[in-house]
Amino acid sequence: MIFTIFKKELKDTLRDRRTLMMMLVIPILIFPIIINVFTSISKSFQDEAANKKIKIGIVGTENNFLQLELNAIPKEMGDKEIILYKDTLSLVKDLKKDSIQLGAFISGDFNQLMDSLRPAPLTFFFNATDMGMKERAEAYMQIIDKKAKSQRYKKLGIDEARIQPIVTGYRNVASDKEMIGKLAGGILQYIFIAFGFIGCMYPAIDLFTGEKERGTIETLLTTPVARWQILFGKMGVVVLSGLTAATCALLGLFLSIELIDSEGNAEILKIVHSILNPTFIIMLYSLLIPLTVFFAGIMIPIAVNAKSFKEAQSIITPLNIVMVLPAMVGFFPGIELNYVTACIPVVNIVLATKELIAGSLDIGLVAISFTVMLSLAVLSVVFSYKRFDKETNVVM
Amino acid sequence: MIEVSNLSKEFELSRQQRKELNTTNKIALAVDNISFKCEPGRVFSLLGPNGAGKTTTLRMLSTIFKPTSGSIKIAGIDAVQNPQEARSKIGFLTGSTGLYARLTPDELIDYFAALYNVPKNLLNERKERLFNLLDMQEFRGKRIGKLSTGMKQKVSICRTMIHDPEVVVFDEPTSGLDVITAENIITLIRDCKTQGKTVIFSSHIMSEVDLLCDDLAIIHKGKMLFQGTMNDFRSNMQTDNLTSEFIRIVHASQNASL
Repeated sequence: MIFTIFKKELKDTLRDRRTLMMMLVIPILIFPIIINVFTSISKSFQDEAANKKIKIGIVGTENNFLQLELNAIPKEMGDKEIILYKDTLSLVKDLKKDSIQLGAFISGDFNQLMDSLRPAPLTFFFNATDMGMKERAEAYMQIIDKKAKSQRYKKLGIDEARIQPIVTGYRNVASDKEMIGKLAGGILQYIFIAFGFIGCMYPAIDLFTGEKERGTIETLLTTPVARWQILFGKMGVVVLSGLTAATCALLGLFLSIELIDSEGNAEILKIVHSILNPTFIIMLYSLLIPLTVFFAGIMIPIAVNAKSFKEAQSIITPLNIVMVLPAMVGFFPGIELNYVTACIPVVNIVLATKELIAGSLDIGLVAISFTVMLSLAVLSVVFSYKRFDKETNVVM
Repeated sequence: MIEVSNLSKEFELSRQQRKELNTTNKIALAVDNISFKCEPGRVFSLLGPNGAGKTTTLRMLSTIFKPTSGSIKIAGIDAVQNPQEARSKIGFLTGSTGLYARLTPDELIDYFAALYNVPKNLLNERKERLFNLLDMQEFRGKRIGKLSTGMKQKVSICRTMIHDPEVVVFDEPTSGLDVITAENIITLIRDCKTQGKTVIFSSHIMSEVDLLCDDLAIIHKGKMLFQGTMNDFRSNMQTDNLTSEFIRIVHASQNASL
């Protein structure tokens, strides 16, 4: 009987355009669209920045040190035009007007200080709202400074290697898979939780509050089917919708990485493919199913109590934030799955999945996380049943 | 057969409801110790003004609500102890009944037949008979949401009768319907009577009651004010028409309670 109700509710749900949009269309399309738009915009900004000819103002004499050194830097590092100024006031004024993008002040005794092997001051002026200009100045100075240092060592007759007492090396022992797990695992969970919740929301409201509003629940309750069977049949569709929405969102994200700019992400793709094996998928869903049941279990009592679609929506929508906030823990570095975090609902699933992706899984901790979520899911189902069984809640 | 004895229903009032009703009582008595019997092959009418307790009584009969006290027997089954079994004997139709707008009449009838465990061969035979009888063949494949009120009412009738119930409960079945559409319901009630089914229907329209019923009960504020056959009611009338007599009985009860 549960399956009969499940089949009918699924058919009914799949014919509802609003649910279909939230369950399938938006989750699948959102990431390809967002990533495509972001990639195109950032690429166009990068191209524009690389091709942009910047004007650099220098307060100093004709053919001063900085002017000569800047002119010696190849065009490939960005096209530039040097303009000489007599005072810093007019240079700053032009910088503010964006007539020039970088400014520099070089003191009159600069060459003398350099020749006498003493520190020579050089000040750059930039407008922090003009993104990337300070970085451009730093990149130029790295080349100029390196060249000046070499010349000075030569003059002093010093072997450059002899004044570097320690050569420090840093080697990362974490695999790329672990790195991705720790860094991107949180994002995956965030997506899953956010879309899982939204995916559950519309069917939960439609199948419970909607039935009350449309006056169909009364007829259903007069059939020789136990209320728990009706609840389970409907709940099955709510859970399936949540899982479908979340899966579609992840699928959309995967397709975005796979199809858009695949040349640049060859290494990432290789790692993603190695992560996505059947064992990983089974373990991931065994963690996520109790979470989705829990979502359905907290939405259904609200939907059962509500008198209208609007009322249910106005209560459940803010709840989304409460549920998704713990998922953000996944973004914070340093928070690990331990005996405390394994007992915190939602947070435990986020951290356990991160570990799962990284391949650094502690079965004991995952078992605790699973048990906590499963217990909560069962409690929420019992609570849903209590509310659904209360006659005044079901019939208006 | 429906046998109701000493049936009462209390509802707990929330703080909000107490405020709205301007009362300090934590309990509202919707049905107060009523008893009646509906015989097979006869039409029993439950008559009363709005808020009399008709819908609550019929919801208890159809086991949507659990009585606070009293007993209900539906076709010999104790509906309080075995509600699921009793429900298989009942066909329930209300004027406010909605239908699943995204399903077709065909799909809806199949769904309810499955819920009532109607065997496949019986389902097909009954479905075809009802579809022909109600002239539903033309729109059986269309989405219910796109059907007219009259067509929807036919689907509701078909849904009520698909499991061939022994007892049929109608809660203000013609409310909000035009006379042509309401005629389908009137015909259905007459057919049920001819087939020997037990029929109970609630109404506040006296002409409808006069047209259809064999036995009558008048309730007001949850209390039974009159019970007997339609002939008894007519012969004891103190006014010149049925509506006036109904109003007189209700007013007399109100005055007595003051």
